[in-house]
Amino acid sequence: MREFLLGRLNAHALPHEWFTIGGTIGFILLPLLALAVLVRIKGWKWLWGEWLTSVDPKRIGIMYFIVAGFMLIRGGMDAIMIWLQQALTAGNAHGYLGATHGYLSADHFQQIFTAHGNIMVFFVAMGFIFGLINFIVPLQIGARDLASPFLNTLGFWLYVGGVVMVNMFFGIGGEYAATGWLAVAPLSETQFSPGVGVDYWIWSLQISGIGTTIGGINFIMTILKMRAPGMSLWKMPMFTWGSLCSMLMVVTVFPLLTATLFLIFFDRYLGMHFFTTNLGGNAMMYTNLIWMWGHPEVYILILPAFGVFSEVVATFSRKSIASYTSQVLGMIGVTVFALSVWLHHFFTMGAGADVNAFFGVMTMVIAIPTSVLVFGWIATMYKGRIRYTVPMLWFLGFIGIFTIGGMSGVLLAVPPADFQLHNSLFLVAHFHSTVIGGVLFGVFAGLNYWFPKFAGFRLNERIGRSAFWCWIVGFCLSFIPMYILGIMGATRRLDHYDASTGWQPFYILMLIGGLVIATGVALQVIQIIASVIQRRQLADFTGDPWDGRTLEWATISPPPSYNFAVIPNVTTRDAFQEFKERGGLPQAKYKDIRVPYNTASGIYIAAFAFAASFAFVWHIIWLAVAGILGVIICVIVRTFNDNIEYTLTAAEIENAERSRKKHILPKKTEEGEDMSLWEFIKIAVTWGLGFVGLKRRVHGS
Amino acid sequence: MNNVSHPAKIESRPGHGSVTSYVIGFLLSLIFTLIPYSLVIHQSLDKNALLATILGFALLQMVVQMIFFLHLGREKKPHWNLFFLVSTIGIILLVMVGSLWIMSHLSHGMSSMNVTDKIVTGEAIYQVNGVQVGTCSGNGTNHRIVLLGNVPTPRHTDAQICDTLTIMTQDNVTRALMFGPRAKAETYAGETSVSVSPKQSAVITLTQLGTHTFHDRKVNGPTGDFTVTR
Amino acid sequence: MEADHELGGHEAASDDRVGFGFWVYLMTDLLMFTVLFATFAVLRNNTFGGPTGRELFSLPAALSETLILLTSSFTAGLGMLAARRGSKNQVLTWFGVTYLLGIAFLALELREFTAFIHEGHTWHSNASLSSFFTLVGAHGLHITLGLLWMGITLVFIWVRGLDSHLIRKLTLLSLFWHFLDIVWIFIFTVVYLMAFV
Repeated sequence: MREFLLGRLNAHALPHEWFTIGGTIGFILLPLLALAVLVRIKGWKWLWGEWLTSVDPKRIGIMYFIVAGFMLIRGGMDAIMIWLQQALTAGNAHGYLGATHGYLSADHFQQIFTAHGNIMVFFVAMGFIFGLINFIVPLQIGARDLASPFLNTLGFWLYVGGVVMVNMFFGIGGEYAATGWLAVAPLSETQFSPGVGVDYWIWSLQISGIGTTIGGINFIMTILKMRAPGMSLWKMPMFTWGSLCSMLMVVTVFPLLTATLFLIFFDRYLGMHFFTTNLGGNAMMYTNLIWMWGHPEVYILILPAFGVFSEVVATFSRKSIASYTSQVLGMIGVTVFALSVWLHHFFTMGAGADVNAFFGVMTMVIAIPTSVLVFGWIATMYKGRIRYTVPMLWFLGFIGIFTIGGMSGVLLAVPPADFQLHNSLFLVAHFHSTVIGGVLFGVFAGLNYWFPKFAGFRLNERIGRSAFWCWIVGFCLSFIPMYILGIMGATRRLDHYDASTGWQPFYILMLIGGLVIATGVALQVIQIIASVIQRRQLADFTGDPWDGRTLEWATISPPPSYNFAVIPNVTTRDAFQEFKERGGLPQAKYKDIRVPYNTASGIYIAAFAFAASFAFVWHIIWLAVAGILGVIICVIVRTFNDNIEYTLTAAEIENAERSRKKHILPKKTEEGEDMSLWEFIKIAVTWGLGFVGLKRRVHGS
Repeated sequence: MNNVSHPAKIESRPGHGSVTSYVIGFLLSLIFTLIPYSLVIHQSLDKNALLATILGFALLQMVVQMIFFLHLGREKKPHWNLFFLVSTIGIILLVMVGSLWIMSHLSHGMSSMNVTDKIVTGEAIYQVNGVQVGTCSGNGTNHRIVLLGNVPTPRHTDAQICDTLTIMTQDNVTRALMFGPRAKAETYAGETSVSVSPKQSAVITLTQLGTHTFHDRKVNGPTGDFTVTR
Repeated sequence: MEADHELGGHEAASDDRVGFGFWVYLMTDLLMFTVLFATFAVLRNNTFGGPTGRELFSLPAALSETLILLTSSFTAGLGMLAARRGSKNQVLTWFGVTYLLGIAFLALELREFTAFIHEGHTWHSNASLSSFFTLVGAHGLHITLGLLWMGITLVFIWVRGLDSHLIRKLTLLSLFWHFLDIVWIFIFTVVYLMAFV
């Protein structure tokens, strides 16, 4: 009976080791506490009605940022733990906390680097990018919403389901996959990974992957079918182009991931033999399939970042992008070629010279459209009147680091070279240079650039600059030694190594670099808090703080729920720049618009899907059936519900616009610079002492 | 406003077909199912031809159903549906062909031939542990064949394995020399033909034993042969 | 490109968008099937000494399934024509026939599966059978979900009568059904016919 009810769940699954207890407190209990505080302050109705069930892509975008930011902290802590282990663990150094080497057992270390990879790729990078696309793309193309608001909220909650699953193993189960971030077979088969770790891995990726596919379909529908009148594809802003190309790749390759995850799930759950070591299984087919998804995935991440940089460079060079056509063709070129290079991840698996040569050449070819983009940005800066704001700094950092990463990639594209460098730290340095230097810096540039649009006030520039410099210096301290170590022969994923290799000084340097990066992250958090404190001084009253060129700057900050009161007619690229030169947006008549209702169906469907996934992990059949039935029933109820929109009349819009115009008259503000870090520290200490003093007064001691 | 209780009528917009189109599609699909079926049941063709034929009929039936059942291509511009379908088919081909190509090469690598032999052949390694293994080190003698007019001099060459053969021309003509008799082209040392011009001679490493002929691609050109022994 | 029009224009544009979005979803479904096809192609001969398709499959049975599904695709098309004419009874008839043919298809497929399992050829036996059951089973699962969708839609039409929303659902459903028949063409060819080549 117990087995029927609970499957393979038992008391041992509850946290009983230092890291599972720590993880449960830090990543399960603390967020729940934060949520409880929020509900206490603002009320559940507010949270449920304004945010959780919202179908407004601006709200959903902000929720993506918050979840992705939280996961960035966790993924970063994983990285620090890895660096710390590797710095401590040379030779026969004394082990701590019961470990033979360093302070982490080998199995735990393996789970950490696996989780680090999954979290950073799926939940941080994808989360930030989906957040940016949700908020900005409809504004840039002059639309009010995405094509399907329901699918948007569903996609978000499926992503959250994946996030919950990848955090929940701390509390229930105690282990994650120890297989590397792609869980290569046959290590991920039941024979070699009998615990629940790989099952958590499968289902966290499966649910969020389906959410991503749904989002991809939605964004494509939106960009292709909902542009403002007059905005042909060839007049779209560059960020929209980057997002379109990225989403085209999403709908192409995420289905491949979904199917492959099902296959490994069937092997583990139903005893099939796709990738097992016996009865005819072929583990190499798993590697083939997973990288068919895996390689385009990294281009999915980078293309929106390229789009961000195009916007940032054009705005802060006060010129339109140099050669729009080449830039678009460059993005399309990257998109097309990205699908033909996947074997370069397993040159050493033994397909032979012919096959390796083809994929090696294709991998080198993809550097060409990428360089077209890089040269295009530099050409945009040439003879521009450049303003070195924080987004521009992130762009300049990107140029340096991403180029190094790209060049090391072309080096790795040569199969004989790859035979030496495969799975070495050189490879690790390469992909971190491109992903951090490209994707993450792009996200940071985008967040700093568009923050005024999200919030109505700029971010603090001084602290933002300090954060940037910490990131750059920390990155170089961490990853330049990594290239050198890789060539010296250090492989990746080492939890201990011989002291005679002479590698330890490098590892210690990398740890220091990691701590500098962590300081940079802390400064970014401080930047946001400081900006909130100074929000009146940093307020954006015009909606266009940077003298931007594209349509999103034509709205107030933050935009009203319907984005544009009247959808503008577009005639050129850089549509907003054109309107400004002509003297303002054309004033047209207000019309009735259809607005979608908020809906909880996304939450319910995702909750049932999550329940089914949890049931699959723990082999609880009744719950799996209930979860699947729940999903089907909710989908049916939602799709057969015809009453999903209401009308916002022209009169109501006119009223909203008129009353808002009163609010944006500038209030009297204090003049002065952005807060410096020292000033923030003083404020924080004062507040802290006041808080403690308050408690003392209340308790009368 | 939304739920109309009386049946709604939609005039036949372009792109929604008629009974005729469905009937034609159905009959064609029927034929394109029964033909490959009977070919397989009766084993009427040899293996490769049969494979190609039934795949061809499957693709044909897919196109038929797309045109007559799915009304593809009749939507208004821009033809996004068509674009997505064609791209998807492209990706499908990439995934299928790519996987089969890669996996067959990998399985060749896993096949039971002695691993050393396999590496040696693939990487053209000359000796292992001091023992010559059959590929060439480049220390052989060089033999020269000169083409003048339509006559190679010498017409016949005897050589040893791993010698080299240089073919040069003394007139102003660029020639393409093919291996094997005129009726049936062969491959030698991985090449089906070599090009000889006044500025550039052809050099072949003699890695295969036996007597081999070469002939000029043009009818009146020179024909010669060489014999390679151990 | 759409701006705000009166409700009729809004609905037509919305129909176009939803139809296009569903089409893109169908493409992603095709790609998932491609992985299953590719895996089947690679693993088809990995029987680990067990029986091959040639020994297990019955071509006449596969042909019957193929013809049944093809006919159901045809009747679904006729049902769509009836929907555009606004004829509720004809819609129920033609889609009813489609439904019964779909059930017959599933019954034949289940019969084949249970026969194999009964003889001890299950998805545990070897990689080849794992791929067979997964590929053909995935298609069967899609047919089942399609029948579920069809059944509910037909009930709604029976109760509410044909309206534009239900016609739109029928359009998407028939797209789905045609697409499943196209996938089956390739299953019939690659799995069944090729086993005997």
